[in-house]
Formats: sequence, structure tokens, C-alpha cells
Amino acid sequence: MRILLLEDDKQLGPWIAGGLREEGHVVDHFEDGKEALIAAMGQEFDLLILDRMVPSLDGLTVLKSLRASKNVTPALFLTALGEVDARVEGFDAGGDDYLTKPFAFAELSARVNALGRRRDTGEGVEAAKTELRYGDLTLDLLSRKCERQGQEIELMAKEFKLLEYLMRRPGRLVTRTMLLEQVWDMSFDPTTSVVETHISRLRAKIDKPFDTALLRTRRGEGYVFGA
Amino acid sequence: MSLVRDWTHHFKWLLRSSTLRLTALLSLIFALGFVVAIFVALTLGQRAIERRMDGTLATIAQGVEVEDEGVTSAEVILRPLENLSALPEPFRRAVARGGGTVDLDDDLMGSDIWRVMVSQDSDDEPIMVAVPLEDSSEVQDLLAGILWTTAGIVIFATLAIGAWAGFLAQRRLKRITTTLGHLAAGDLTARTGHRRLRDDLDDIAQNLDQTAADIERLVTQTRNLSASIAHDLRTPLARLHAQLEMLPEGEERAAALEEADRLAGIFDTIMRVARIEAGQGRDGFEQIALEALLGDLAETFGPVVEDAGKSLALDISDAAMVLGDRGMLVQALANLIQNSIIHGGDQITLFAHGRAFGVCDNGVGVDPQQFDEILKPMVRLDAARSTQGSGLGLALVRAVSDRHGAALEVSANEPSGLRVAMRFTEL
Repeated sequence: MRILLLEDDKQLGPWIAGGLREEGHVVDHFEDGKEALIAAMGQEFDLLILDRMVPSLDGLTVLKSLRASKNVTPALFLTALGEVDARVEGFDAGGDDYLTKPFAFAELSARVNALGRRRDTGEGVEAAKTELRYGDLTLDLLSRKCERQGQEIELMAKEFKLLEYLMRRPGRLVTRTMLLEQVWDMSFDPTTSVVETHISRLRAKIDKPFDTALLRTRRGEGYVFGA
Repeated sequence: MSLVRDWTHHFKWLLRSSTLRLTALLSLIFALGFVVAIFVALTLGQRAIERRMDGTLATIAQGVEVEDEGVTSAEVILRPLENLSALPEPFRRAVARGGGTVDLDDDLMGSDIWRVMVSQDSDDEPIMVAVPLEDSSEVQDLLAGILWTTAGIVIFATLAIGAWAGFLAQRRLKRITTTLGHLAAGDLTARTGHRRLRDDLDDIAQNLDQTAADIERLVTQTRNLSASIAHDLRTPLARLHAQLEMLPEGEERAAALEEADRLAGIFDTIMRVARIEAGQGRDGFEQIALEALLGDLAETFGPVVEDAGKSLALDISDAAMVLGDRGMLVQALANLIQNSIIHGGDQITLFAHGRAFGVCDNGVGVDPQQFDEILKPMVRLDAARSTQGSGLGLALVRAVSDRHGAALEVSANEPSGLRVAMRFTEL
């Protein structure tokens, strides 16, 4: 992916840019808002990673200007402002995701891939599906039924939602924070092991009774479904 | 129906105008005065006419000699006192009284009101002399008519002006009340937009606008300050995280990262508590069904509680709808559940009774003397010092509760344990 990164911190900027390049992305790194805006207007990017507080023009204004000129490139905000209203501001400005500092690189990487994929497949097509299938596992979104190898599996409402979220992102790293935000609608860390517990319950239902495991844990980073 | 209700509401609203009430009162006093004045004027006018009439009657009497049969015409009746039998009864009674006004049921010579006087004719014989009052009473009626009509118009005009003035004043007051409402609801940009009429209402509006501007400025300053604190602390934390991640993998790196995450978490909670405490109004509030909220939480946290070797139960009766910020309430309840998992007994209950809801457990509880103490930020009772936690959990619960105008009730659970409830006020 070709990524525009707007981050003025002398340490974080190169760290993020370096990490993304290692993963095979092409990164244009800017430390100044105006320069980033000019670049984003003149060139085609697959993703924008914008810091909220940067010199000359903050990330929020940059994205607002781009959205005003019909630029729909997916955008991820990086910010040291973690509060709920700051998040809301970010989404209102046309941001697609919002990541609060400090963050683990794996977290950023997972979100970057999620946004990039969204652009590839076109989210509308994906969202319109009424049945998700992966190998011998099917999830019927209308009758709310889950089956593996023809055996019906009883899922609780939250487990169903969790599995749906995972099945829509096969082979991708999904972090704990992403799950908290998307499945539980929690923008805070409940300190208790909500995600871990539900993952292990889900695993006991969809993986334990069968020979192959579909849901894998990547230590310290998150979870990968399938592939 | 709604139009009628609208107008009724509008009318009630107008009735509450102090200006209108004052004008109505003044109009009433004015009207009373008017009525009294008209009565006095008419009575005095009547008396004056009667006096002048009596003078005329005396002059007529003295200028004639009355025969036995007397004179009876449309202009005057003259009779000797011994010969009154031909006249209607009221005349005789008037004579017995010594004179006065006679009001007849039937016309006599085209007139039903006569002024009667007992006098003497030119021969000094006692006679009765009477003239019709019809003309003067017509004048009197006309005068009364003019006066009453004028009074009616003036009183109506006064009331109309009063209502209009009341309406205008009420409209300005409403703007002030609406602005106050907006401010209370958290919209700090609300202003009355007063016009310069240089009256008392204008002063109030101006003061209100000034105060609102001050509050807005202070809140913005606080917000900016908290934003820069957040930025100044999160940026080095992010660098720390980045540097730790660049270390070679191993036990120590993992432990250090975990510690850094914990630090970030604590900072996050502090900022959250501060923001909730500094927050205002009902922005982002929605109607929340407590039963559904608790059911959702039970599904999310039930397995977590079970994995901790405890059990989570729901106790819901007559659960109400409350107006609140869902995210905040979830976080507060999550904190309470977390607290119960760490410090409470093995039976944790999520309860909602009416407008009160919270978490209780059957553990050892807390000494009632320390109920106030545990709500303070950073306070951890001795027994809890050895376990994990930042001591911010209940401070956040209190901040959320305060933000919703709810009462936070900490009490002993029956038969044992701690019970923490948020009691929402009636809407």
C-alpha cells in the first residue's frame, strides 16, 4: 500500500514509517500539515495516517480539507488526545479509525491492514453478505445459525457478533482493542479479561470439538481467524 | 387536539407573566375607579337637574291660580292638594312624602317620569305641581351611554396594551430562560442576544451573556489545558512504548511493555475522570433501558466472573428507562464488577430496581465508617493495598454518577458484602 504518514514526533515518526516499510508498504512521511495536505491533494494514496497535533496545520484540518474536495482515501488518526469527544471529532471530520497514543506497533499495523482491505473489497459488498463461510464453518446472519461440519453450534449473542467480526477478516490480525471497540462498543479498557474470556469460550465451541483450529492467538498482538 | 393544547400552553405561559398580571391588576383598579366616577357623576347630575326642576316648579306654582279641577297637560300638572284622586297612586304617595320623582308603570300624557312638588299657588293655596322628566332623563341616559361606552373602550384598550406588554416582556424573559436552559444543557455558546433597551430585563440578559461568555472561556481554557496535559504525557509514553518494542524480544521486554501499558491505562483513567467531572450538560445522552443495559453487561461479564471462580446474577424489578450516556454507564458498571471480582465475595449481583441500579456482592464488605473514604480518588483501603488496581475505579463511578445528577449510594449488602447503587432522579 502507498501510505501518507503525518507525524511530527522525531522518534515516533521514523519508528512508524520504518515499521510500515518493513511490512512492505510505501510510506511518504511528513512532519508538517501543509506539506502533507499538498501531497495528498496532488497524489494518490491508499491510506492516510494523520497525527492530530502537528505544526502549521493539524491532522483534523488536513482531513476536513481533503474530504471537502471529495477525497475519500481511508484515514486513520493517531493522537495523544484520547478522550471520547476527541474521537467523535475525528470520526466527524471523516476519519475511518482512531488510535490513541501510546500504541503497540502491531495494533497500528492491524488497523492499517483493516483499512487497506476495506478499500480493496469495497465494504458495501462485504457488508451485504447474509452468510459467511470459511472452510467447513458457516455463519448464517439471517437465521443466526452457526454450523461446522454440519453440526449446529449454539452461540451467545456476543459470541455470534465476535465470530462474525473475525470471519469478515480472515487471515488478518485483529487486536484486543479492535474487538473491544467493534464488538463491545467499549472505547475504554475494562481491565478485566473480557476479550480473552469470550475468545476462549468461542474457541471451546467452534474449535475444540473439531480436528483443526480456526482461531489462533498471536501472543501480545491479537487474534487471527483462519489462514 | 395538539393545537388546542398548544394554545392552552401558550395562554398559561402568558398568564405567568408578571407584567401582564400587573397590568391586569391596574386595569381592574382603573375600571373600578371609572365605574365609581360614572355613578357619582350621574347621581350628581341627576340631583342638579332635580334641584333646577324644583326651582322651576316653585316659580310655576307661584305664578298661577289653580282651579279645583286643576290643569293636566303634557307639559305640566297642577292640582289643589284636596283633589288628587284622579291622578295615579304614585303621585299621591309623592305628595305624602312632600315631593320627589314619580316613576309610573303606564304613561301619563306621554311621559312616565314626573317631578312632583308640593307648593302654594298665587293664592297661597297648597297645590301639587308636576312636570315630566322624560327629556332630562333621556339626556341622562345618553350621557350614561357615552360614559359607559368610553369606559368599556378604555378598559379594553388598557387590557389589550397590558396583554401586549406582558407578551413582549414574556418573550424576552423566555429568551433568557431558553438561554439558561441551553447553558444548563451544556451548550455554552448560547446567548440571549439582548437588544439595547436599557431596562431591567436588558441588564439581566446582558449579565447572563457576560457570565456565559466567562464560563465558555474558562471551560475552553480547561479543555485546552487538559488537551496539552494529555499530549505532553501521551507523547513520551508513546516514545517509551516504541523504544521498548525495539528491544530484543524476551521476558523483560514483555514485562516492561506490560508496565508501560498499565501506566498508560492509569493515565487514561485519570484523564477520563477529569473529563467526566469537567463535562457539562446532556450532550450524547440517550434513553437507556436499564434492563437491556444490565442484560448486555451480564452477557459480557458473566463469563469473566465465572472464570474468576465466582458467579454473576441479575436482579431486576420494575427497571426504568433513564436518560444517560451509555458508554459512561457501561464503564462505571464495568468498574464496579471489576471491583467485586477483586475484593468481593463469590456471588456478584447486577441489580436494577426502578431508577436505582448497581452491583452488590456477598463478600466481607467495607466498614460503614469508610463508605465515604472509598469514593475518594486514589484511596485504597489497607486490605486492598496488596491487590492490583489504581484506586481510581470508584472515583470514576462517582464522576459518572455526578455527571448524571444521580445519587451514589454505598451501603452494606444483606446479609454481607458491599452494595453500590446509582439512584437516578425522576425526570
